[in-house]
Amino acid sequence: MATRKPSDGSSRSASGTPARAANPHAPAGVRDAVIVGGNRIPFSRAGRKYADASNQEMFTAALEGLVARFGLQGERIGEVVGGAVLKHSRDFNLIRESVLGSSLSPQTPAFDLQQACATGLEAAITVANKIRLGQIESGIAGGTDTVSDAPVAVSEGLRRALLDASHAKTLQARLKAFAKVRPSDLKPLTPATDEPRTGLSMGEHQAITTARWGISRAAQDEVALASHQHLAAAWDAGFFDDLVTPFRGLTRDDNLRADTSTEKLAKLKPVFGRGLAEPAEPTMTAGNSTPLTDGASTVLLASAAWAAERDLPVLARLVDAETAAVDFVHGHDGLLMAPVHAVPRLLARNGLALDDFDFFEIHEAFASTVLTTLAAWEDADYCKAELGLDAPLGSVDRERLNVNGSSLAAGHPFAATGGRILATAAKLVAAKAAETGKPARALISICAAGGLGATAVVESV
Amino acid sequence: MTDSYTKAVNSGFTKTLAKKLGLPRPAILRRFRAGDPLTVGPVLVVADDASMGDADTLAKELLGWGLDVRRQPTDDTRWGAVLLVLTETKRPTDVSSAVLATGSVLRRLATNGRVVTLSRAAADGDAPALAAARNGVDGFLRSLAKELRAGATGNGIVLTDGVAVNGTSVLATLRFFLSARSAYVDGQLLPVGPADADLPADWDRPLAGKVAVVTGAARGIGAAIAKTLARDGATVVCVDVPAAGEGLARTANAVGGTALQLDVTADDAGRRILEHARTRHGSLDVVVHNAGILRDKLLANMKPAQWDSVVAVNLEAQLRINEQLLGSGVEGLRIVSLASTSGIAGNKGQTNYGFSKAGVIGHTRATAPWAAAHGGTANAVAPGFIETEMTASIPFATREVARRLNSLQQGGRPADVAEAIVFLASPASAGVNGQVLRVCGQNLVGR
Amino acid sequence: MTAGTPATGAGEPLRVESLATLPGLGGLYARGAAASGRIAAGRAMPGLPVIGQGRSVEGDGEAAPLTLPDVAYQVTGVPTADLAHHLHDYQRLLHEPVTDVLPAGYLHVLAFPLATAVMVRGDFPLPLLGMVHLANDVELRGHVVLGDVLEVRAWAENLRPHKRGVQVDLVAEVRRQSEPDARPVWRGVSTYLAKGFHLPWTSADAESSADAPDDAEDRAPAGTWTAPLPTGRWALGPGTGRAYGAVSGDRNPIHLSALSAKAFGFPRAIAHGMYTAARALADVGHARGDAYRWTVEFASPVLLPGTVDVAVTPDPDGPGFAYVGWNGGRGRQHFRGTVTPL
Repeated sequence: MATRKPSDGSSRSASGTPARAANPHAPAGVRDAVIVGGNRIPFSRAGRKYADASNQEMFTAALEGLVARFGLQGERIGEVVGGAVLKHSRDFNLIRESVLGSSLSPQTPAFDLQQACATGLEAAITVANKIRLGQIESGIAGGTDTVSDAPVAVSEGLRRALLDASHAKTLQARLKAFAKVRPSDLKPLTPATDEPRTGLSMGEHQAITTARWGISRAAQDEVALASHQHLAAAWDAGFFDDLVTPFRGLTRDDNLRADTSTEKLAKLKPVFGRGLAEPAEPTMTAGNSTPLTDGASTVLLASAAWAAERDLPVLARLVDAETAAVDFVHGHDGLLMAPVHAVPRLLARNGLALDDFDFFEIHEAFASTVLTTLAAWEDADYCKAELGLDAPLGSVDRERLNVNGSSLAAGHPFAATGGRILATAAKLVAAKAAETGKPARALISICAAGGLGATAVVESV
Repeated sequence: MTDSYTKAVNSGFTKTLAKKLGLPRPAILRRFRAGDPLTVGPVLVVADDASMGDADTLAKELLGWGLDVRRQPTDDTRWGAVLLVLTETKRPTDVSSAVLATGSVLRRLATNGRVVTLSRAAADGDAPALAAARNGVDGFLRSLAKELRAGATGNGIVLTDGVAVNGTSVLATLRFFLSARSAYVDGQLLPVGPADADLPADWDRPLAGKVAVVTGAARGIGAAIAKTLARDGATVVCVDVPAAGEGLARTANAVGGTALQLDVTADDAGRRILEHARTRHGSLDVVVHNAGILRDKLLANMKPAQWDSVVAVNLEAQLRINEQLLGSGVEGLRIVSLASTSGIAGNKGQTNYGFSKAGVIGHTRATAPWAAAHGGTANAVAPGFIETEMTASIPFATREVARRLNSLQQGGRPADVAEAIVFLASPASAGVNGQVLRVCGQNLVGR
Repeated sequence: MTAGTPATGAGEPLRVESLATLPGLGGLYARGAAASGRIAAGRAMPGLPVIGQGRSVEGDGEAAPLTLPDVAYQVTGVPTADLAHHLHDYQRLLHEPVTDVLPAGYLHVLAFPLATAVMVRGDFPLPLLGMVHLANDVELRGHVVLGDVLEVRAWAENLRPHKRGVQVDLVAEVRRQSEPDARPVWRGVSTYLAKGFHLPWTSADAESSADAPDDAEDRAPAGTWTAPLPTGRWALGPGTGRAYGAVSGDRNPIHLSALSAKAFGFPRAIAHGMYTAARALADVGHARGDAYRWTVEFASPVLLPGTVDVAVTPDPDGPGFAYVGWNGGRGRQHFRGTVTPL
């Protein structure tokens, strides 16, 4: 495996045993933030089981499952941080309201945060940093999203009229305000996932990136198939028994197609990239793209001492994280390529190489997102020109990639994906370390709208 | 789930109407509430001549509990309970005066009153007359319980040889029977042996500091058990299948415990329960095998899955978990399993369920010595008709008949089962081992 | 002569005629329509011309030679202080950042009525209605901000042959009133085609005509041009023309509704060319800087409602950007142009 060793020295000892990853730039006295565990509700395709569930209801349910799993009733947690990508204006305090509806102490502070699809991971990074700095002893990070119960906005014309009318002092003035409303103004505006600056949906953006990197339909379908197979196997093995709490009668992710096959995936019609000149036959289908999904997830982080005082298990440490953004507006880079930039910086800072990881959790926004990410790290020209590396970053061992499935199979309720992945990664490294007696490490990579990306290193304790 | 009939015949116009029509009028049972008096009125302690010494001893204990204890039946009292002490009875003729004294106050036994007998178990080597007298109490008590009205119950404590009348477990059992905790326990005789245990420092929190596991805790009786265990001081690990996790989380959060999503039929279920209890809470003291399923079918129509799954969940899982827990050397473990009156009397369409529940009774008796060797106990509780979501789905007419077919003429509540379990799980009950305590309002079928 | 004094293409100075205020476009269109009718009546064979599709010239060989009016219109003391609402409406519609800085497209909107006034003069030889907007070339040399008092001039020049008729440049310049002798802070050249008119050809004309963009009907069939990967996609609603008409004042009926556009031979309403060019300019964003040259060539009309795929790409060899817009489904180019920092 061609792997670039970071130029500022590798942490790997001669014996091959990985040393403890550490960010040498972290100030002295910064302590570990450990991952105790996670809880999410099963993810559900939009319009199904959670059709009438609000973000607050889903996040509260995820929180309640976490509280139950770890006996946190009445506990004053240092901070609960999370968010939703599609959010009602009434949910200005979504996370705090969820806390108040939970069994946690009402004295638990909370705040909302949003970084598109990276919301969940960014929340965990934020919580971890507060723990590491000693500002809090414990924290819960998470996210929730519903497409089914998404806010519906009124048109600009109607909105103006409503605001004018509400400011109007007389009936006449009020009627006058409404007189300006045109029939076309009455059409509701549903939230779009289009990039505001380009007008292209995320799928179309990725179709462009897919075309540029020449990712084949077969390769994408293969990723999708593996995702479903891995997720189904993980469910069957009980992997999610202590990561998921059922909600509204749903006990498993209902996007999961355990019986899907190469043939079935091959039959699906392309849905993105149909307007592109190349390739003549578009490659991105509903099968190798994530569906719109509802769901919520949480992760409990803490200082090691806090966890020990409460006899709580510790799965892993959140070692370090890096976010990045790409200039996608003029097509310089693909919309979802930011993690490709973040990871080399993250690895270099921590003296790690791709070889040093036992698991890679690369969010499957689309199968081709994963594939372009892998291709970019193997591409010498790209690595040199865009990442400033002397040699390709290296290859990701596909056997270590999304071993328990990812978003293609589980679905992707935007802000909830980070929590799903982080808890999964933490449990994976804990199990691996227990099995081998050696430290285990996972690399998390989550792309997000707006050309954003969040990445993190998780290591067993 | 509400028994609206019982409500109706106990209030307002419908109460008068029911009285005039001579309809059965099941009483509204008094359930345990912290702070309520132990009994609803004074306690009359009567005994045959030979047992007077034991009666005095017990009277003193009752006085120590703050009860109004009397030794003479008087006409002006609304009796809360009658304690009939026959521990030293030698011949059948000995009991006459005490029994009749008991009878003389029954008309003035208060609503939700209690009659408790104390006697000794007939044992090998007993003289025939002694055995007759001892065993006679059994039939007397069961019959008396059927005569009691207005929510009053009759239960008996059967001391095994050598147990002092004020032994820890005797007193614990006596207190249980006298109290509202045993509201739906009726017509039962519970053998009590010696116990190397202390009475609780606080009778309202007998499980303080204990860690208890309840399987099938997501809802119904399991949730009630979890709540009652927690109320009485235990830290509760709530276990249920992952698919029931939402209700499980609700239970765990209500009781301040932890939720463990686990299929009890998993090969390593016992080890995982033990690991969770030990790493998260430091010990494992009580396990309540409540998880159970129904797959009712006439045997002629029974599919393999219907038979096998019931046996796997209701019986095999308990066996395997017990083996793993006792095999791991857990000391002082109190095992309480859920049996059922179906396992005692049988029920049409429930050959699988009846097999499994009778099996529970069987393994409970067999496990008892093994548990005792590690300082623990293994007991079972056999609920009768309990008002749950499950029984609420029974068609109205069938349900109405089923819930009246007992001395209390009503269904029990999940909490009634839970109270019995908490009693059996409490440290002071150490002398109760290998027993099946029915919580059935003295169901007309079975024992 | 000061620099920037209007001159014909041949360099002859023009007579400057001052107007008190910038004319309103609505009135100009009425006059333009009347003038178009007059020109048609004077030059066309009966029954042949259809307004909006140019004119046929068959049998019109004897027409008098076409000459442009030798006049430049000028308005001084144009205030901008009270334009905030209008400017911000424009900026929101065109996806420009909402600030007090007047983008180049907005200055076009300000100056356009004066250029139109030139085109509706009685001695302007071509009909306003039916002229095809071929291209635009704009230079913005610095910030113009709300509160600046402006001087606007406009004239026509460079009448020249095109293979489908004749083309003419309408030049407009904007200066800050405070710097009347300086180079214009904004200068826009709009090239229009009047189909079916003739000019005597010279070799120089042939050369310039070869550079001129083809109009829609002359475009090579789709397929010979391969669309690049888009960087953006505009979903243009049916009201796009009305909305831009409202902020620009250009309420040419071909933009307003399917019905009014049909009257001029279009199947549906079409987007204003300058709307599309200004959207592309906005898409370039911050990188264009404060001073830039902005060009556009229009290839085929954008029918409304419609979706336009756009690629805005940095020039690999310089600081500028090239952009192109096309119909994603049919691969047909609508417009292309450049934005180059100055």
